Amino acid sequence: MKKSSKVFLSILLILSIVLTAGCSSKTSAGSASALENIKKAGVLKVGVKSDVPKFSMVDTATNEYSGFEDDLAYEIAAVIFDCTSTEAKEKKMVEFQGVTAKTRGPLLENGEIDLVIATFTITEERKESYNFSTPYFTDAIGLLVKKNNNYTSITDLNGEAIGVAQSSTTKDSIDAYIAENNMEITVTYSEYTSYPEIKAALDSGRVKAFSVDGAILAGYIDDTTQLLPEKFSPQDYGIASNLNNTDLAELVNTSIINLRESGKLNEMLTSWGLESYK
Amino acid sequence: MDIIFNKTNLFFMLDGLKLTLLIAIVTIILSTIIGVILALIRNYCKGILAPLAKFVTCYVELFRCTPNILWILVIRFFVKGSPVPIAVFACTLFTSAVMTEIIRGGLNSIPNGQFEGAASQGFTFVQTLFYIILPQTFKNIIPALLSQVITIIKDTSFFRVIEVAEFTRNSLGVIGAKCTETYQIMTLFGIVAATYFIICFFLSCMVRGYHKRVTI
Amino acid sequence: MKNLFTLKRWAALWAARADFASGLWTTLRVSFLGLCFALFLGIVFGLLSTSKNKTARGLARTYVEFFQNTPLYIQTFFFYNGLPYFGVILSPFIIGILAIGLYHGAYIAEVIRTGILGIPNGQKEAARSQGFTYLQSMYYVILPQTLKIILPPLANQALNLVKNTSVLAMIAGGDLMYHSDSWATLYDYHAQGYIAAGLLYFILCFPLAKLAAYMEKRAKIIPGSIQVQNAEAAEV
Repeated sequence: MKKSSKVFLSILLILSIVLTAGCSSKTSAGSASALENIKKAGVLKVGVKSDVPKFSMVDTATNEYSGFEDDLAYEIAAVIFDCTSTEAKEKKMVEFQGVTAKTRGPLLENGEIDLVIATFTITEERKESYNFSTPYFTDAIGLLVKKNNNYTSITDLNGEAIGVAQSSTTKDSIDAYIAENNMEITVTYSEYTSYPEIKAALDSGRVKAFSVDGAILAGYIDDTTQLLPEKFSPQDYGIASNLNNTDLAELVNTSIINLRESGKLNEMLTSWGLESYK
Repeated sequence: MDIIFNKTNLFFMLDGLKLTLLIAIVTIILSTIIGVILALIRNYCKGILAPLAKFVTCYVELFRCTPNILWILVIRFFVKGSPVPIAVFACTLFTSAVMTEIIRGGLNSIPNGQFEGAASQGFTFVQTLFYIILPQTFKNIIPALLSQVITIIKDTSFFRVIEVAEFTRNSLGVIGAKCTETYQIMTLFGIVAATYFIICFFLSCMVRGYHKRVTI
Repeated sequence: MKNLFTLKRWAALWAARADFASGLWTTLRVSFLGLCFALFLGIVFGLLSTSKNKTARGLARTYVEFFQNTPLYIQTFFFYNGLPYFGVILSPFIIGILAIGLYHGAYIAEVIRTGILGIPNGQKEAARSQGFTYLQSMYYVILPQTLKIILPPLANQALNLVKNTSVLAMIAGGDLMYHSDSWATLYDYHAQGYIAAGLLYFILCFPLAKLAAYMEKRAKIIPGSIQVQNAEAAEV
């Protein structure tokens, strides 16, 4: 009797911890108007990548974020706080938090960050959980392999392991690509939590290919690695916000549209040396 | 060579080490305090307060039977906060369970005569605890406590999964992103292992030294 | 959190039960084999650390100190991503057994060492005087007596070992933690995934925890002596 009541109480305990934790976060996200809260706080909290060159990188010496997506965050902040983006940058109106493919969704959901600008691909399933803006960049998935393996195309990867990031669209995209082109190859996937881990696995031979959006891969190319020629499954990146914050989502959406129409978006892309895959 | 002894990389790793030690120290202090409170509740709450003791038992059993990584992920995804406070919270949560058990072990090893002797001198229960029992308890459990400190420092490496900028993550990030030659990877990796080893070995020697001093 | 009770997510969890089952099975196998390996190493190095030979003692001490003072994750990462550079490529399953065995073997070696040191020297001398070799005296005389002392901490180590198999999740090892984490982050069904993982680990570890507690209680009872309660009652 004692044993089973202990088990029961423990299960009750897990549930109660999870629920109470949930209650605290529920009240924070989606209360009042998110936009007003942000304006009151004077700071926009944005989740960005910290290891994607040209998009969003952390300078290990100064701990500053710089990249195309970081600039985009400043532009949005400028619209919210009604100033110029350079002012937003100087007055530090954006608080960046490094996220990975795994953490960006949950942090948005529990209200820790207001927006996610982190190479977040728009998919139908994800639209059920988050609000996405209109796409600001399109990229295709690529495959990074070791030069000394002499792979020439994806068919050489038959029976090999491909490294992908947890919670990314890459796995499904590769499967779809293989099915579409009726390739008779089978691949297995190893999921890791961050890109340096996948690169380490590639270097040590644990996985024979590192697959993720081409723009992210570009940061990991070095003397020993090369990209396979295949590029597929164009991915649209969008800025994500919490499902409840509809006013914020609208403002973000309008900002992107304005940036694109005024040509500023293209300017920013070229200044970082990026080209949208069409 | 320039990658290994690159100032930026080394300082980046050092920042990680600072954060590791910070998390470890705060966790130790917090979990010891919480552990003492919970151990006292567990041992001495009878009658009306008995459910509290039951609660502590369930809490300890729960954290003894589930992996730490699970709690790190759960707390990160369900509790709002920036990475470092979350890490400290998660670490404190599961370390308190272990601390409670260690301190309970210490409390149980104090002979009953101590309580009786104190009562005969007119100490109240709380005074007895504070002036007589707890000091003896701590002297008895110092080896176990220090061992737990070592374990905490090593367990901070699990915060890798939630991207807390601690020592393991920063170092492995440098290795993964910047190293291409085998010798670079091995050297940096050796530095990481050696750093942990030096810190923990130092503490472990303290434990052995204490043991030698205390046991005749 | 509003999705804690969404039926659709729990249905999805049930649909994915094969993944969780395979993860659980892997965890079970790694735990069992890892424990066997750790026990083996623990006994070997425990014996080495109490031998008269200085080199043997030094070897044992090095092993114990090295594996006790470096994080399990670092050791696992080395086996996973470091060994291939030396041409040694092992499957994550084997790496799990290896890393966990080596890590906990160090702790078990210490437990056994404490146990052996707790046996009075006279036992060893008497055994030797009767013609037992060192190993025979260990096997027939010393170790059986240490069992009572070392079983509680051993049970504790077994418990920690099962929990530590979750490190496989960080090297794509296909254990319970990896699969539940992977599933949970795939569609952001975190609550369901982690609660399932927590429950399964709890079911796995709770018997071990109870066993450890039982052993502790038994270790306090000295055979043949008057029980403490009886003694107190007798005084009154």
